[in-house]
Amino acid sequence: MILAIIENAFLSLIGSAIPASAVVMLAATGAMLGERVGVLNLGQEGLIGIGAVYSVIAVLSWGVESPWLAMLIGMIAAAAAGLIFAVCVVAFRASQVLVGLALALGGIGLSNQLGTNRNGTPIQTLFREVNPGGVLDDNDLVSAFLFHDPVVYLAYIGLPVVLWFVLFRTRHGMNMRAVGENPAAADAVGVSVTGWRIFYSVLGAALTGAGGAYMVLSFTPTWSPDIARGRGWVALAVVIFAGWRPGWAVAGALLYGSMISLDTTAQARGWGLPFMGASDLSFFLSMLPYVVTLVAILIPAGAVKLGRRVRSTAAPAALAIPYSREER
Amino acid sequence: MFRGRGSMTPLGSIAGAVLAATPWRLERRLEVDAKRAALTRIGGAVGAMVVVGILLLLTGRNAFWIFWQALDAIFGRQRGIEGVALRAIPILMTALGVALSLRMKVWNIGSDGQFLMGALAAVGVGIHMGGPGWLVLIVMAVAATLAGAAWMLVPALARAYWDVNEIITTLLLNFVALQLVTWSALGFWRDKEAAVIQSTREVAHTLPGLPGAESVTIALLFPLVIAAALWWVFRSTTIGYEIDTIGGNARAAGFAGVAVRRRILVVMLFTGAIAGLGGMLQLSAPGAQAMNAGFSAQFGLSGFIVAALAGASFWGVIGGGVFIASMFYAGIVLQTKGLSVYIIFAIYGAILTGIALGEIAARYRMVRRRADAGAEAPGPPGASEPSEAWGPSAPAAAAEVLEAGS
Repeated sequence: MILAIIENAFLSLIGSAIPASAVVMLAATGAMLGERVGVLNLGQEGLIGIGAVYSVIAVLSWGVESPWLAMLIGMIAAAAAGLIFAVCVVAFRASQVLVGLALALGGIGLSNQLGTNRNGTPIQTLFREVNPGGVLDDNDLVSAFLFHDPVVYLAYIGLPVVLWFVLFRTRHGMNMRAVGENPAAADAVGVSVTGWRIFYSVLGAALTGAGGAYMVLSFTPTWSPDIARGRGWVALAVVIFAGWRPGWAVAGALLYGSMISLDTTAQARGWGLPFMGASDLSFFLSMLPYVVTLVAILIPAGAVKLGRRVRSTAAPAALAIPYSREER
Repeated sequence: MFRGRGSMTPLGSIAGAVLAATPWRLERRLEVDAKRAALTRIGGAVGAMVVVGILLLLTGRNAFWIFWQALDAIFGRQRGIEGVALRAIPILMTALGVALSLRMKVWNIGSDGQFLMGALAAVGVGIHMGGPGWLVLIVMAVAATLAGAAWMLVPALARAYWDVNEIITTLLLNFVALQLVTWSALGFWRDKEAAVIQSTREVAHTLPGLPGAESVTIALLFPLVIAAALWWVFRSTTIGYEIDTIGGNARAAGFAGVAVRRRILVVMLFTGAIAGLGGMLQLSAPGAQAMNAGFSAQFGLSGFIVAALAGASFWGVIGGGVFIASMFYAGIVLQTKGLSVYIIFAIYGAILTGIALGEIAARYRMVRRRADAGAEAPGPPGASEPSEAWGPSAPAAAAEVLEAGS
């Protein structure tokens, strides 16, 4: 009996966590892609905003009727912003931290500005939930756990599997990792460090933009200012937690997402504790996702320090270090 | 995919292509002096503002004219100058904290959170403690300083002893601090009488005003004194020298006998303490004695940009702080003229990019090509074609290096 209740609670928590952190999952995959080739893009928060606002513009102003096309437009916009970033930090070797923060700020400012007139307008062009044959109704816990938009499957299963396979099972992936770990060596064997870094960080920016697009095309589904609400930073934390391994990002994203859904569930049901009223509990719970994310970052580093053997959770050796032959 | 090309350095190939038609070429400087780097950073920031201005002009808004009017409105009147000074105090305090950590190449992006926690501690003391005003203010300042440092404790310990990147940890705590402040304003310290804006109860005491000023208090002296103290520490003491050594090369500093980890921990706590004290100073200004969810108007971010502009020079922070505070205040004026608050974020982003590019530009100089070498040496030195013969065995070689490296 009690076991069944716990199981139900767990299923419903994870069930609502899955869509809640699909954005984080997409952004984390995008960030990881760039970081694997040595480019740290702190601008995820801004890229989510840009991807989201251009999808909104595509739907509301340009009359795009396919959510996929709207998402593609959001991705292209984010990729364009990512290209500016990549040219600054890879070609001109400007500080990745400074330009990354600039992208976060500029992206938030630009997207909020562009979205000003579209605040709260509901979006009708949405991704449809996959529910084969309509067998299960909406209230079923299993369906909440299993049936989502196609984007969710891509974010949690498709992308991590593809990224893992490319990174660890192909020569191309080995070269990618070489660019991130030891660019001088990669350069010596004829891999264009500049080209690969620009290409993959722009591709990563596009994925993060897809996350923003997913927010407005399925999750919220409307534009509101500061749409990312820290999810971009959480995504960067998830990459650290995952130790730059695509599969582990799923665990990190779900951890964050279940904290979010714990908060919303508590608010919706008016939960309280004996020593804490319902409204106080909800304030407390809204801090929790960030606290838990912070603790999660400490886990891999702490595990190494405390003597546990953890397989390859270190950052790419050349992460955030500009490469230049002149300085070799 | 990209193999074969990329024979030259990235900057070299771009600059080489642009400069090929002119008698000039780029050359790397062997040494970059601080003054030139500061000039190019300022140049980058100003250049970025001009670019944004031109973009706004293209969308039909004459930002230059509006901005000029805003500056005129600020510096034409005492009220405007005091408005800049009021905003300069929190910006300077957070900027000094960031600049101190930058001396060690540590990025403190969480000064907003430390600032908020300092103010929250000060409010807690201020609304609960009785006694003479001066004593309450002193206890508020001490509590704020400790709270700011405490908010930095976990990121500092993690960075110093577990080598956990401090950028993300400090930043995540900003969100926690913001939620905590919201909670205090709407929950546990809520002023039940205030109807319009929900905020905490008000602290009864304020710092004494500066002579001749309407609203600026002696809080303005704090960042100046702290900047002077930090400047002296880094000019004349062993500790300052050790911190600079860690910033230059932490490994080398460790070999030289510097207690690197402990220094990192202490300096990071100090950066939090300075930002926390800034929160108390902001709170003790007349009219700002209660906290609401919008208490920190992104002062930490502004402070970060100031520190980046100043390149961790403490006197530079003062100059940059006044500059950004004027921008900030002008931004408030701009809002009344049809530009939204979001534009300021976009401008900040552009300025930061300009600073980062300016920093790079300082490393190069233009030299005239020698007449005889001009045709043969179009690019910068060090550019040589890699052998194409590596071809198929290239990935294997990369793998070997990977194994050896890890």
